[in-house]
Amino acid sequence: MKIAINIGTAVFPNPVTVASGTFGHAEEFYGQEEVKKLGALVPKTVTLNAQQGNPPKRICETPAGMINAIGIENPGIDRFIDVKLPRLKAAGVPLIISISAHSEDDFVLMVEKLNEAGGLSAIELNLSCPNLQKKELVAQSAEATSGVVRRVKNVSHYPVIAKLSPNVTDITAIALAAEEAGADGLSMVNTFMAMAIDIRKRRSRIGNFTGGLSGPAIRPIAVRMVCETAARVKIPIIGMGGITNADDALEFLIAGASMVAVGTYNFVDPRAPLTVLEGIKAYMRAHRMTDIRELIGSIER
Amino acid sequence: MKNIQGVYKVAGLTRVNDIYYRLALEAPELARLVKPGQFIHIKVSAGLEPLFRRPFSVYRAVGGKVEIFFEPVGKGSRLLAGCKKGDLLDVLGPLGRPFSLPSRDVRQVVFIAGGVGVAPFMLFSDQIVKHKAAKVLLYGGRSKAHTFPLNEFKKNAVKAFVATDDGSAGVPGRVSELFGRIDIAPTTFIYACGPRPMLAAVAAFAREKGLKGEASMEEVMACGLGACLGCSIPTSQGYQTVCHDGPVFDLQDLVFP
Ligand SMILES: Cc1cc2nc3c(=O)[nH]c(=O)nc-3n(C[C@H](O)[C@H](O)[C@H](O)COP(=O)(O)OP(=O)(O)OC[C@H]3O[C@@H](n4cnc5c(N)ncnc54)[C@H](O)[C@@H]3O)c2cc1C
Ligand SMILES: Cc1cc2nc3c(=O)[nH]c(=O)nc-3n(C[C@H](O)[C@H](O)[C@H](O)COP(=O)(O)O)c2cc1C
Ligand code: FES
Repeated sequence: MKIAINIGTAVFPNPVTVASGTFGHAEEFYGQEEVKKLGALVPKTVTLNAQQGNPPKRICETPAGMINAIGIENPGIDRFIDVKLPRLKAAGVPLIISISAHSEDDFVLMVEKLNEAGGLSAIELNLSCPNLQKKELVAQSAEATSGVVRRVKNVSHYPVIAKLSPNVTDITAIALAAEEAGADGLSMVNTFMAMAIDIRKRRSRIGNFTGGLSGPAIRPIAVRMVCETAARVKIPIIGMGGITNADDALEFLIAGASMVAVGTYNFVDPRAPLTVLEGIKAYMRAHRMTDIRELIGSIER
Repeated sequence: MKNIQGVYKVAGLTRVNDIYYRLALEAPELARLVKPGQFIHIKVSAGLEPLFRRPFSVYRAVGGKVEIFFEPVGKGSRLLAGCKKGDLLDVLGPLGRPFSLPSRDVRQVVFIAGGVGVAPFMLFSDQIVKHKAAKVLLYGGRSKAHTFPLNEFKKNAVKAFVATDDGSAGVPGRVSELFGRIDIAPTTFIYACGPRPMLAAVAAFAREKGLKGEASMEEVMACGLGACLGCSIPTSQGYQTVCHDGPVFDLQDLVFP
């Protein structure tokens, strides 16, 4: 059964990975052999300088989902490379390192540091960061997205994956801009801007006032976005948004995603990615498929 | 998985009184491993509602069974109150940093608990029955009905003092009314668990009197494993996760904004 996936020059042994920010401390609760079963590991987004994150409450539960405003708490790229990266490399799984920055120059600086560090399979650009001097996010502007991707592609030794925000009118326009600028793949989607209110206190239930919605609640929208985008771009897509089991993941693959990532549901069942992988294989066997490409984008249009 | 995920059979659900329940799980390995102050993260629903697991302190771990002590206050805890003997529950644990055991030179162990926060101290007192220190429990609850487990503490040679909001048992008022029972000495060690305002009062008292101690904190949790950074609280060391760096913190490290 052929289930390996290529993104640019990177090869992933299988199509199941984890969403950035949802799988820290993996080495502590997965056995070594279990981690190796993942198609790739994607740690939490790293920024140039350390960020302490937002004040509590950082999360709240919503119907079949959650809102988070963590604030990209991370140790900064230098400490990440010195302390965390060696441990991640030791896991023996392809690494997709997620980065975010406040300017194109900072993105480039971080990529140069990662070039030097070595041992990565790909870089994921978390473009849900402010577009300088504008109220929008980079991922909300085709022009800004294209600008960052182009600059990063110029220097990166690794394939580059652009992670898109769903908080846009037409996600295919942003996807096409990223592809044109040279992106090797797309990751979609990030969280949906949302809020929940404590009616007793008449306060937001999130310390940061608003946050990002994730989990099963967003899945149908994410599947639609992946399906629309896959019809228009040639580069592979890592699909995510509310995946809890193999059936959910299969929706994304059939819609046109080449890989899938489990995010929020890792918090409920840390083994979910492994169950998803087994389920995809079982589905392929049941449908007499020998190559995952028979599955990807197989939706009847 | 390094022994932290298991599906366990409910060995029994006991309605303790109008307010509290005890739920026992058949989980010998868990019972052997768990340390006082650690919690288990229970998947309370087979579906997506509620989505997150719920953390519960381990109340007792004897005879291969792990017990929790809880009050149904919302969606998750009400589902647990509806469990039946023989039901299966998916559990992660034991998780989090436990209380440190009192060192040999400690002469007075002071447990300070508010409401259901008394839960970890049952296990704790079970495990330190042989320690020579005097043990006291200062317990604050809403009413007499909240004071049930205290006779169990007596069996472990823990002297309990009670304060209730409505004065229906013990001293009327908050648990801070009982702070006079604490020996102001370097050989005293405080362990606290309960609502945040209570912990703030304990931390302030300890600071003022130069007493050492630890407190177990509560925050809304998703993963319980330190993966989401959702349960972080401010400490003197910056933000720390309640589930992984805690739930037990040194009193002097806590920050109450
Ligand atoms: C480390 C740790 C250990 C814990 N140990 C225990 C324990 O031993 N026993 C126990 O009963 N609970 C314990 N809790 C709390 C428990 O995990 C749940 O938060 C609690 O049972 C409420 O969950 P729910 O789904 O029933 O309520 P939800 O549906 O999540 O909330 C319903 C309402 O109840 C309120 N609420 C939430 N928690 C509490 C609370 N603790 N007291 C009063 N109101 C509340 C909420 O603000 C909300 O308005 C612990 C929490 C932590 C972090
Ligand atoms: C607690 C939390 C933290 C997250 N942190 C990041 C992050 O650091 N970088 C990023 O690109 N996406 C982050 N995400 C978004 C996820 O990677 C994913 O895109 C999104 O949650 C949708 O997938 P899901 O519904 O399966 O969670 C985070 C999501 C959650 C719930
Ligand atoms: S609940 Fe996820 S880090 Fe604590």
